[in-house]
Amino acid sequence: MTGSMPAELTVLAQLLLNGLALGAAYALVALGFVLILNATGAINFAQGDMVMLGGYAAVALARVLPVSGLVLLPLVMLAMAGFGLLFSLLAWRPFRQRPPIFGLLATVALGLTLQEAMNAVEGAAPQAGPTLFGPGEIRFGPLGLSRASLGILIACLGLGLAQAWLLGRTQFGRRLRASAQDPVTARALGIPVDRLIAASFMLAAALAGAVGLLLSGPYFVTPTAGNDLILRAYIAVTIGGWGSLKGAVAGALLIALFESVVAGYASSTVATAALYGAVLLLLVVRPAGLFPAPLGRRA
Amino acid sequence: MIRPAPLVGLAICGWLLAVMILGSGYDQRLMALAAAAALMAIGYQLVFGQAGALSLAQGACFAIGAYSAGILSRLGWPLWAELPAAVLVPALLAGLAHAPVRRLDGHFFALATLGFAVLVRLVAVDAQSLTGGANGLAGVPAFGRGPGAMLVGWGAVGLAAALALWLKRGGNGPALALVRGDADLARASGLDPERIRARGFGLAAGFAGAGGALQAHVLGLVSPDVADFQVMVGCLAMVVIGGRGSVAGAVLGALLIGHLPEWLRPLGASYRIAYGLGLFACLLVAPAGLIGTLERAWPSRRTTGATAPSPVPPTGRPLRIESIEKSYGGIAVLRGVTLEIRPGEIMGLIGPNGSGKTTLVNLISGLDRPDRGTIRLGARALERLSPDRIALAGVARSFQSPAPPDGMSPLDLVTAALAARAGCVGFGAAAALDPLHRQAEGLLRRSPSSDIARALALDPAILLLDEPAAGLDADARAGLALLLRALADEGRGLLVVEHDMGFLMGLADRVAVLLDGRIARVGTADEVRADPAVRAAYLGPAAC
Repeated sequence: MTGSMPAELTVLAQLLLNGLALGAAYALVALGFVLILNATGAINFAQGDMVMLGGYAAVALARVLPVSGLVLLPLVMLAMAGFGLLFSLLAWRPFRQRPPIFGLLATVALGLTLQEAMNAVEGAAPQAGPTLFGPGEIRFGPLGLSRASLGILIACLGLGLAQAWLLGRTQFGRRLRASAQDPVTARALGIPVDRLIAASFMLAAALAGAVGLLLSGPYFVTPTAGNDLILRAYIAVTIGGWGSLKGAVAGALLIALFESVVAGYASSTVATAALYGAVLLLLVVRPAGLFPAPLGRRA
Repeated sequence: MIRPAPLVGLAICGWLLAVMILGSGYDQRLMALAAAAALMAIGYQLVFGQAGALSLAQGACFAIGAYSAGILSRLGWPLWAELPAAVLVPALLAGLAHAPVRRLDGHFFALATLGFAVLVRLVAVDAQSLTGGANGLAGVPAFGRGPGAMLVGWGAVGLAAALALWLKRGGNGPALALVRGDADLARASGLDPERIRARGFGLAAGFAGAGGALQAHVLGLVSPDVADFQVMVGCLAMVVIGGRGSVAGAVLGALLIGHLPEWLRPLGASYRIAYGLGLFACLLVAPAGLIGTLERAWPSRRTTGATAPSPVPPTGRPLRIESIEKSYGGIAVLRGVTLEIRPGEIMGLIGPNGSGKTTLVNLISGLDRPDRGTIRLGARALERLSPDRIALAGVARSFQSPAPPDGMSPLDLVTAALAARAGCVGFGAAAALDPLHRQAEGLLRRSPSSDIARALALDPAILLLDEPAAGLDADARAGLALLLRALADEGRGLLVVEHDMGFLMGLADRVAVLLDGRIARVGTADEVRADPAVRAAYLGPAAC
């Protein structure tokens, strides 16, 4: 098939397409980050390490259960939801009455522990996990998309929509949003705030686990794989407007497209440098992100 | 009575001496590397521990110091020129990086400093010609084997510790505690958190640079590992485990973290799991760190005997508010407020909930800026000044929720404001603590709440009180009324926002009524009470 697109435009379109799948994965990580942020006000620096853990869970499951990633995805998400519950008991409950810096440091410490534990169990070498739709590439005219990337795109879109439905259309979601907005009033109305917070952690961990599985196929997984992801999620949430779900998705896509295009034309080093340069610049111009939350302090 | 921190310092000196005399060359080298980490951690106490800003750039500054030392020494610079450069380069780069992001708060600041760290790491790994890329820089002149390097390193730590203690001496301590506890309260007390943080950040970078240079000279090389984020995490761990804010804690933390791989050697490579878990356990059971926990367990020291506060000269400048307008998100809260508060008078401000009383107080005290209009104290325009300038210019305020921030005693709170007024604003110039404490105790005895005492510590010409009688019993209210009258008699102007009409009506010389964002009426209590419009809109028929 010969496309009618000029060559340069084809290259750009291909780079954007590549970036899209990665952006979708970043977006799910950022969504999990914002879920916990909104429910507790806590910054979960271990969100990236949860992705890493999900990746290793997928690798381990695929060893004993050599089936398609499509089958393993719900299993990994379920296991990670359980981990999310445990994580909330460790990283949130003991620290909820303390200044937020302690909760943040606790997630740093737990993330570090996870990384080192996986390093001890699996070693530092990259491991390949399962894919959803097997190897190979699908052509769209002059453009190509790997089946793995397609799997990431479809799964992330599905999970993103499922989460939007869960938060926006169900009683659970309404209660979650109510308790995030005003925990005191929510508690007074009989909403089990603590259980909802635990549920937020479970949901965030499940999303992280899904991303872990999805990325473990095409990109492999290493014990430190979470570091880059949490940085990108953090940037996405910050430039998207602290606490906004839509902003987090928009920020994640923006980062991935930016990286993919700059890396395509220059190098991944230049892309990283340009990304952080751009973020610093953005923070100078818009100190509260692209879509700042209308916060007011009543003295 | 001796405090825990000096005791820990002594114990550390003993440990060093033992290693110096009895230890192997390997032990001494480990100690020299721990000294490098201690320099970084002592510096980090200034920005994170003292100023309370979560900077994630300290590890990067350590790396800049190491590379500066490595590059310059390979260029043939002598030690006496290269070492100061290794301190100055990171401090200058940090200053440059901080200038554009100085207004950022909390996690935005953390992200900006993280971005700086990532860029430094990229240069370390990728700028082959400058940094040697992945190979690093070999052939950096090494401080001799044996106790030599250790002696140099710990001599530097001693100097750095003395400097850090000097920087936070006297009134700086409480002032910094207030800055990290509550930035708005600090601003209202005459402190400028941004400036204090900027100083802490630059100083911290210099300390880290010294540490990096020391490490380069102990190892005889610079590897790009020095720019790893692990260095930053380690620094954070040292400070948290040792005790946030404490110099001795930073040194103790650096020693412990530095020796952990050695002590946990039987665990093999998985010692780092224990490291992560240990950090977590420390956050869980000893959030104040080893030093902080010791301090708390120690019998406390009381400052003795207080004399009366120094008499305050009458000030006598009126506050003139003219045509102030303010809207939030398109909703007008204040639509042209004009009001004068004269020296020596108590002006009451009443109005229904949501009429904009607190907004007006926030605008006068600078926590928020008016869209239009002017605010003058005497001849001085205030409406574009920052809150700390306004507080020092003579307009102080109290807050509705008067509890001091976590971990601060009322005495600390008042002392912080006194220190701010004395011109000691974090790191550097300092007023001696004992006279400040005595003065603060006097003010606390005089005031019904620590927050009013804090406001009085600024010796204000105009005092804005936001619901001072809330939560007080009848006796305390009577005491408060006497205090406010006495303050007015000293020549101060008072603006009292109050819900308790009985309290205000008996006290205020004049009462202003804020309705729908405008001053509907100003007059004596009786005049206001008699005004039909006010009665209808606010007091209601029952108040006649």
